[in-house]
Amino acid sequence: MEQLIHQLYSALQNVTGFIYPNEIELQWSILIVIYPYITGLVAGAFILASLVKVFNVKEVSPTYRLSLLTALAFLIVAPLPLLAHLGHMERSYEIFLTPHLKSAMAVFGFVYLWYLMVVLLLEIWFDYRKDMIEWGNQSRGLKKLFYRFLVLFSKDTSSEALAFDKKAVRVITIIGIPSAFLLHGYVGFIFGSVKANPWWSSVLMPVVFLFSAIVSGIALVLLLYMIATMLRGEKLDMRCLDRLADFLFYSIIVDFSLEMLDFIHRLYQSEESIKIISQMVSSRLFVSLIVIQILIGTLVPLGTLFFIKITSLNEELRRLLYFLSAILVQIGIFSTRWNVVIGGQLFSKSFRGLTVYKMELLGVEGLLVGIAFLVLPFIILYVLMRILPPWSSPGPGADENSSKQLQPQTQP
Amino acid sequence: MPDQVKRLSVIFILVISALVIVRYLLIPPTFGKLGHYRARALEDAKALPVKYAGREACLECHDDVGDALGKSYHRGLSCEVCHGPGAKHVKSEGDVELVVPGKRKDCLRCHQFLSSRPTGFPQVDPLQHNPVKPCITCHDPHEPGPPRAPADCSGCHTTIAKIKGVSRHVSLKCETCHTTKAQHKLDPRKFRASIPAEREFCGKCHAKKAKGSSDIPQVDIRLHGGRYLCWECHNPHNPQGE
Repeated sequence: MEQLIHQLYSALQNVTGFIYPNEIELQWSILIVIYPYITGLVAGAFILASLVKVFNVKEVSPTYRLSLLTALAFLIVAPLPLLAHLGHMERSYEIFLTPHLKSAMAVFGFVYLWYLMVVLLLEIWFDYRKDMIEWGNQSRGLKKLFYRFLVLFSKDTSSEALAFDKKAVRVITIIGIPSAFLLHGYVGFIFGSVKANPWWSSVLMPVVFLFSAIVSGIALVLLLYMIATMLRGEKLDMRCLDRLADFLFYSIIVDFSLEMLDFIHRLYQSEESIKIISQMVSSRLFVSLIVIQILIGTLVPLGTLFFIKITSLNEELRRLLYFLSAILVQIGIFSTRWNVVIGGQLFSKSFRGLTVYKMELLGVEGLLVGIAFLVLPFIILYVLMRILPPWSSPGPGADENSSKQLQPQTQP
Repeated sequence: MPDQVKRLSVIFILVISALVIVRYLLIPPTFGKLGHYRARALEDAKALPVKYAGREACLECHDDVGDALGKSYHRGLSCEVCHGPGAKHVKSEGDVELVVPGKRKDCLRCHQFLSSRPTGFPQVDPLQHNPVKPCITCHDPHEPGPPRAPADCSGCHTTIAKIKGVSRHVSLKCETCHTTKAQHKLDPRKFRASIPAEREFCGKCHAKKAKGSSDIPQVDIRLHGGRYLCWECHNPHNPQGE
């Protein structure tokens, strides 16, 4: 109790204006910022994968499998920040046993399960089936058994079976696009439907979340593709990179336009909350919203990508600028999530005062746990890439030197 | 049906069957009958032993204490808030003793200063308010008014006094801004202190050309702050704070 009072006293030093006592301390912390960020990356990476299978964009096919594995790695981690925040992770399965269909948060469990089991795992399974059979045949001992188990002891590699796999992947991807929209649109819906909070309550919220998800997903896969290719000592496919950058450019334009539409709409409506929101944007959120999200995270990469499009820079410079733009986009989208989640709790519902968010370093809601949740998907992705290499190779057990000679797989 | 679909179907059937079995085993039979909870929980709750007797039961024997309490500031409190559950005490006709709180921490549970408690609710800083001395030496919990009228305002308005004590308004007496009748100290809720209502009041010191030290910040009292009143932005007890 005394510790709590001490915390409240220190928070009170930074409170301005009038604020209700229960608003001094923020309840949704850094973990709730990370949750929509990670979920957005899942949806974005999957939408990128669908470009190859549904929209037939051949240039980005080297990133197809990488996108799927990225989506899976991040999807596995996506609910963890939420569960850590809620506490009692061991009870989370109960959401499936006694479904509460009138609760949007409870329905998320099913959206998540659908996306994991029916979309991602199935698509990856069908796409990798032939390769897993081959890797099983080439391996020995436990590894052989592992791959045989992964492929459910299937051995059929006839042309009919492979044609079926291909068709199945296409059908699942078509189902997957609305599912990905549902997955991240839901996250926006959760915030957008809080009608008591003018910073969140907006029908545009799910759409804005969706497009920012696409932006962050494309930027992440672009980064991962560049890093992974460099680590493998391969040459980057510049056609693929240019095309990815194109999609990134267009999706940033749509995302930014939607966000601006939302801002203009709020300003023009000028509801009673506009004064405190303007005050918050110009003080508490100035750095994270105006400087990081809009300037560094959106306008700078947008300008850079536009500059690359209208000039004919050499490959090396383009690679460097793509890399930097993608990093800036990631920082920008993270601060987008920050500004939504934290921003929505910084002003009093009396519209008369502002509080501050003091992040803990240690503890479940602390910075270190947050960083761990951000690093964990990359570790899972590394393991997944070891088990299911996204680029064609003679098998995970094959000679390392020989695998370096291989080209990225264009037609899985 | 292609071979791979058959194999996947087996997995899906296994997963769905497992879910059905787990649901059958783990969901309590009465779940969902009345709402999204276990209906039998109501029966279980009803079956729990009753621990509280209720104020009426206490008054049957302790009507003298009840009369005093009914006229005091503690009239809204049930006896068992301080004395603990009394069902056993009532049932045993007094053989089972009740809790008799007498330590400082018992009173501080409600009266320790907390910023979220309403203004006017008696709150003390235990380090400053007669430290070490048990509260009941001066206050009768059944008639908890102060034993004597406090000498100055800080006796009750500790928080404000503490905040003002380190602010630029430290030298101002409370009476500079608030006027009170003498009875306020004895019956503060009936005889309330006055509160300034117009910005011109602050203007007595803070308007341009107002008399006073050149250190006093002075503004155009008609235009400064638009349509807001002074205390909507400045806390009069801590005017230099944000």
